[in-house]
Formats: sequence, structure tokens, C-alpha cells
Amino acid sequence: MKDVRGWLPELAAPVVLVVLLALIASQVLSGGDDVKFRNAIVSIAIVVALYVFVGNSGVVSFGHVSFVAVGAFSAGLMTVPSDVKPGVLPDLFGFLKHHSIGNASSLLLAAAIGGAYALVVGIPLMRLSGLSAGIATFAVLGITYNILRYWTRIGPGAETLSLVDNGSPTTDYLQATVGALAVIVAAFLYQRSRWGRQLRAAREDPAAAQAAGIDIHRQRLWAFTLSGALSGFAGGLFVHLYGSINTNDVYLDLTFLTLAMLVVGGMSSLLGAVVGTIAVSLVQIWLSDWENKWHIGSTAILPGGSSYVGVAIVMLVVLLVRPSGITGGRELGFGRFGRRG
Amino acid sequence: MAETLLELAGLEVRYGGVAAVRDVSLQIAQGELVGLIGPNGAGKSTTLHAIMGVLPASSGDVLLRGRSLRGLKPETISRAGIALVPEGRRIYADFTVEETLRLGLVGRRDRDGAEADLAWIRELFPVIEEFRDRQAGTLSGGQQQQLAIARGLAAGPEVLLLDEPSLGLSPKLVDVVFEALTEIAKRGVAVLLVEQRAQRTVALADRTYVLSNGEIRMTLSPKDAGDTERIVSAYFA
Amino acid sequence: MSHIQALLDAIGLGAVYGLMAVGIGLVFGVLRLVNFAYGQVIMLAAYMLVFTTGWPDVASILVAVLMAVFASLVMERVAFRRLRTSSPATMLVATFAISYLLQNLALLRYTYHSRPVGDSVGTLAGLINAVQIGSLHIRWITFVAIGTGLVSFTLLALLLKRTTIGLQMRAAAADFRTARLLGVRADTVIMTAVAISGVLAALAAVILAVSSTVVTYQTGLSETILVLVGVVVGGIDRLLSATLGGFAIGFATSFVGAELPNQGTTPFTSNQYLPSVIYIGVIVVLLLRPAGLFARRGQAPVERV
Repeated sequence: MKDVRGWLPELAAPVVLVVLLALIASQVLSGGDDVKFRNAIVSIAIVVALYVFVGNSGVVSFGHVSFVAVGAFSAGLMTVPSDVKPGVLPDLFGFLKHHSIGNASSLLLAAAIGGAYALVVGIPLMRLSGLSAGIATFAVLGITYNILRYWTRIGPGAETLSLVDNGSPTTDYLQATVGALAVIVAAFLYQRSRWGRQLRAAREDPAAAQAAGIDIHRQRLWAFTLSGALSGFAGGLFVHLYGSINTNDVYLDLTFLTLAMLVVGGMSSLLGAVVGTIAVSLVQIWLSDWENKWHIGSTAILPGGSSYVGVAIVMLVVLLVRPSGITGGRELGFGRFGRRG
Repeated sequence: MAETLLELAGLEVRYGGVAAVRDVSLQIAQGELVGLIGPNGAGKSTTLHAIMGVLPASSGDVLLRGRSLRGLKPETISRAGIALVPEGRRIYADFTVEETLRLGLVGRRDRDGAEADLAWIRELFPVIEEFRDRQAGTLSGGQQQQLAIARGLAAGPEVLLLDEPSLGLSPKLVDVVFEALTEIAKRGVAVLLVEQRAQRTVALADRTYVLSNGEIRMTLSPKDAGDTERIVSAYFA
Repeated sequence: MSHIQALLDAIGLGAVYGLMAVGIGLVFGVLRLVNFAYGQVIMLAAYMLVFTTGWPDVASILVAVLMAVFASLVMERVAFRRLRTSSPATMLVATFAISYLLQNLALLRYTYHSRPVGDSVGTLAGLINAVQIGSLHIRWITFVAIGTGLVSFTLLALLLKRTTIGLQMRAAAADFRTARLLGVRADTVIMTAVAISGVLAALAAVILAVSSTVVTYQTGLSETILVLVGVVVGGIDRLLSATLGGFAIGFATSFVGAELPNQGTTPFTSNQYLPSVIYIGVIVVLLLRPAGLFARRGQAPVERV
């Protein structure tokens, strides 16, 4: 890559933001606040993974949390020690029940499964655009949730899967942060690559792109697969950071939240994905703090759950006032290198 | 002297930083048929859209009977008495001819004159009566164009704007349409005709403005219709 | 359970979903906006039934209708109006946000007072009782649903075909810009469409509330999701195909659900997997007919989102 001024800010801005967030989080790790910062770090990984597809292709996918889910469940399932597993999950298929793998391998497994699932799903679905693509990907989410919830041969079903806790909070945090940064670097490399550029060209003007020989279906499929792998990886980070996973954790609420974070930040840029996630997460953290702190005597002024209301209001206001998101879909750059995403 | 119905005063319309239409001034009086020609991208359609409020004017003014139309919504301008027959006709394919006319009546201020106007419109364009219950999408291009003009007239406008009505029509049908325009102007409607067919427009209209690169370069009268050189020079001015 | 009973129940559910589909389709037609918060309009109307327990039924229903119309108009004024020129993704997330907001506001009712989730609906619940016809055991509410559906669709069709405002709404849905050039008032048409969708939401709310006898902050949510899916599968571009799509998914969900066996953990062998069966059907239909199952031939899929 030639001119450093051209690409460095684009990569550096998101990275710096994440590092800052992690540093702040490490200061508050002792209190109960760390739960909310956990949300933020993992959300960054998920939202950036989502962005790799949605931002570059312009096609909104409602099904990406499926890949997070399969990543989380496979990583979680395979790290439960094989002496414990048969007792906790008696219905599992044999090879699942009697094997277990280490932390790092589980993350790779999560990425592989996420990517494979995305590839299989993407081959038929990437022919669709617009609203039909949205609904079709949503259907994938519905199917994934449904099967994970009831097929006890491959997972805990409706029960929560708990991991045996063998890491300290600090190493878990470090892993999550490094993981999130890795996802950001991957997203950056993709969008700067030839395939990423081709997909963006197709997003801007499909007819011209096709005329120039770009195979839109294939480019979307690569992005979708990469995005699925990164989402699966993020799912692996999720389960290791929280120590448990339930199908309801990776269904509608997470879908809405991550999509909203992306759109609020600015759908077409990597910086937008990161900024949106951090912004919404901070709002969540502040509001739930207020919920806990504001009391008269023993009566809370703000009832529990009002932080969700607050987050929704903030998101709505941002979208009404600045529809293209906080960053407007732009990356950070010096002067004329500031690229419109 | 006939009353000026429509006036454009120093009209300017910008797309971002570029002025698509710059300092355009003209007047059309009752019963006049005025042409507006020019090369592609000259700003002819932009001018019509600015009159109708679809595009905002960045400076200058559009006046109907001396009343400024700047900043008004398209439906308000339409109801004030200006009708636009859009480029490509923009016919509702699923509506019957009858329903199309009913739609045209929606913007009408004067309810009582409706029947009389419709009678006249049916006389002007016999196809309207003939294909009364047919779906508009099944009509031919020429018939659809006539229907589009009829739809515009149904509102009883004082000013009629047309955006390239001869597009895609055979010469014979262009005759039909242009003759109808003459009739319409005779009825007292002020007609502004935007066209690509330079010569025919110059021959037809009371006067024709040539718009090039957003500005009016010259004004032609019917006697200039044979002077090809003059017209061409105006296009490339 | 006999097939005829399953059939009737399915038609009943299809009718409710059809009503919702019309509400969603009308707003989409004039605003090109998919209102994800439609379920919450239903929820608000259902809560009005709860709060007016003890009132005469007709008054109760009227209050629900007024609330639904009011809420819809407020949404339009505050949010939809500003979103008209935004990208489809922004519009969708914004209506998501409204939906999320209203759900969690309703949830406060239970968390603030530390009470269990759910309010029961009053005397209207009498409709939950069933009538015995031969070997069939059909709830009154099913008949009400089918009847309401038929009457509503007929009235709406008459409105659209025969009245001037209907003509204007059809024109606005097909080509809004040209309609405005002809003098059609944008605000009037939009408010009319939104108000009618509110009325339909209230009707759906009554049926859903009575069917489940309990109203919670999630009332209307899962139904709206399914109806949205159905509407796109049917063909969101035209009101008729959207309505048929809504009806179809309601019918399919109910009928397939009744016909699937109750036991079995292997995927697709029991009615636990009903959602998967339906969703796979959805994907197949969208792959074969992206513009919609009931869309007209040669129609391009709506490029939104």
C-alpha cells in the first residue's frame, strides 16, 4: 500500500477507539460495570462482522446473528470438558459428546463453522436483493433459532450452556479485545482489496459494474462468507467472555441492536460500525447507571428497564436528525483522502 | 393586450454547486403558445419542474398572475391553476381512461365547469370517448399522450406545461397533438411547450425560446422556422 | 382433530393476518415504508381494551380504535414524515427503534410495579367460548375473525375503487410524484392511509386479545413479524398480493401447525419445528419468485432495503 496517509487513518481511527474503550473498561473491571463493557467489546466484533457484508454490498441482512449463534454454540460446546459433557448434555451425538478442544481452537472452529454456514446459505440467497434478501436472511435466523432451540442432539436446546470457567476476567477481556481488533483488521483488509472494491462498485451502480465484468453474485457471496466467518468468530468471543450461551441471547434482540448500532454509526463505513457500536453502548451504560443511582429513599426514580427505552429514543433521534448515521458513511482521512464509504 | 398569466423572473435552479438553469426570464400571456427548445441537458425539464415546485428555485421567482409560487408544494401549485403533462406521460396503467380523467378532476378549483370542460376535452380527443372503459396501459403511445394532455386539462388550468409530448410519436400523431395545442391556446389557456423537435415547434408557437446550458440564448418567431443555421447556432451558443 | 376444524381455524388466522397485511400494505403503498412498529399499535389498542374493562363492548372497541388511529397518526407526524427521504435501511431501523421503545415502555408497567407480566381482557373474552357443530368445536372468535376480514376487505375495496379519496390513494401508491402534479394532496392521502391502517390494527387487536385472553408488552410482535414476511412473500408492491401473502402465511402456519405431529425432536418431524418449515417455504418462494408469489408476471422486485 503506497501512500500511508491514504489508508492509515482509515484503519487507525477504529483501532484507536477500540483500544481506548478497552483501557477504560480495564479501569472499571472491578465494579459491576464490567458487564456493560463486555457488551460493548463483543458488540464491536459482531457489528464489524455484519458491516463487512452489509456495508460493502448495500444489502441488509437480518440473519447474521445466525452465524454468531452457531459460532458461539460450537465454540462453547467443544470447550466443555469431555468428562463433564455426557452428564450435562446426554442427548448429544457421539463425536460431540466425547471430544473437547482448547480455547484458541474453539475460536477457529467457530469461525470455520460460521463461514461454512454462510457459504451454504449464501449460494442460493445472494441472488436476491433488497427486501426479498432481507426477508430471506431473516428466515435463516428463524430457522437457526428454531433448530438450535429444539434439537438436543447438537446442543443444549432451550437450556443455557455454561462453560467451565478456567480463565481470569483479565485474560478473557484481553482475548475479546484482541479478537475485536482482529475483526477490524480483517474488515479493513477486505474493503481495501480488489474484491471489496468490486463489491462496493456494484453497490453504487449495479448495471455499470456488471457491464465492467464484475460478477455481483460471486462478490456478494465472498463478502457474505467472510462476514459469516467473522460473525462466527465473534460468537466464539461472546461465549468465552460471558461464560454461557442461550438461544435467546442470539436472536431478535441482538439482531435489532447490532443492526441499529451499524445504521446509527453509518452503514457504509468501518468507522461507522465502530462509532455506532461504541456510541450506543455508552448510552446503554450511562442510562443503566442512572437507573441504579437515582433514588429517593428506597424508591427508584427511573424504573428498571428504562435504559432500553432511553437507548431506543437516542437511536430514533439520531436517525431522524442524521439519517445517514453519525459518520455519514465516511471513513477518517486527511483532506482529500477522506473517503466516502 | 392579453393578461400575463405565467412569468419567470431571473429563475435559477441549482443541483448541488452547479446551476442547471440560470437567469431565465420569460412571460406567457393568456392564449399564447410559447415554445422552449434546446439541446439535451439544457435545463428545459428542470425549468418545468421548478415552475411546478418539484425542484426548489435557488433564486429568482415564478409568478402566476403576479402571485409568487416559490416554496409552494406541487399540489398547491397544481391547484392554483397550472397543469404539467410530464415527460413520458406518466400514465397510470391500471386506471381506466374514465378513472384517469376523474383523477385529473381532483385538482380542480371550479367544480361547476367540470362537465362543460370534459365535453370539450372529449371533442378535442375523440379517443377518450372511444376507449372510455379501457385500461390506460393498453392504449398506444399516441393515445396515451392524448390521454395525458386530457388528464391535465381536466383540472381546468389557466397554464398548461408540456414536457416533450412528441417523444416517440409518429409525424402524423405529432400533427394531431400539435393541432390540439393550438386549439387549447385558442381557448385562452397559456401553453408552454418544451420540445426536442426544434423546427416544428418554432413553426407552431407564437414565439420560441432557445435554452442552452441553462440560459436563454435567443428568441425565435415562426418566420425563423426555415432558418436552420440560426437555430443551430443558438443551440451551440 | 378433524381436518375441517384445522381448515376453519387456519382461515380464521389467515383473516387476522390479512387484516394486518392490509394495514401494513396501505402504509407501504403511500410511504414506501415498512412499519415494523405496527405490532405496537396493535399492542396499544389491546391495552385500551384492558383499561376499559367493564365498559360496554362497543365503547371498549371504539376506544381501542381511537387509540390506534391516534398512535399511528402521531408516528407518522413525528417519525415517518422525516424518514420519507431516507434510505430503506434507515427507515427500517427507525421503525424498529419505535417498536422497541414502545415494547419497553409497556414492560415498565410490570417492572415498575413488580407485578407479573400480562393483563387479562374483560367481558369480550366471552367470545373465546366455542360452539359445537357436529363433531367440530369452533370458537366464536374464529367466526368473528372471518366475518371481520370479509367485511373489512369489501369496504376497503369499495373505498379504493369507487371513491375519490380511494382513487387518490391508488394514484399515490403507484406514482406519488405525478399524483401531486395532478393536485393530489400528499398529506391528506398519507393521513388517510395511516388512519385506516390504525383502524385495521385495532380490529386485529380485538381478535388477538380475545384469542389469547391476555395482553402483554409483546402482544402483536410475533404476528407482525410473520405478517411482514408474508407480505413480502406475497408481493409488497400491490395491496392485493400483499394481503394474499398475509393471509397465506397465517393460513399455512395454522394449518401446518395443526397437521404436524406433536412429538419428535429431530428437525421437521414435529410441530416444534413449525417455524422452520414455514421459513424454508418462505425462502423457496422468494428464490423462485423474488417479486412475490402473487405478483404479476414481469414485475421487478421492489428495490428497497
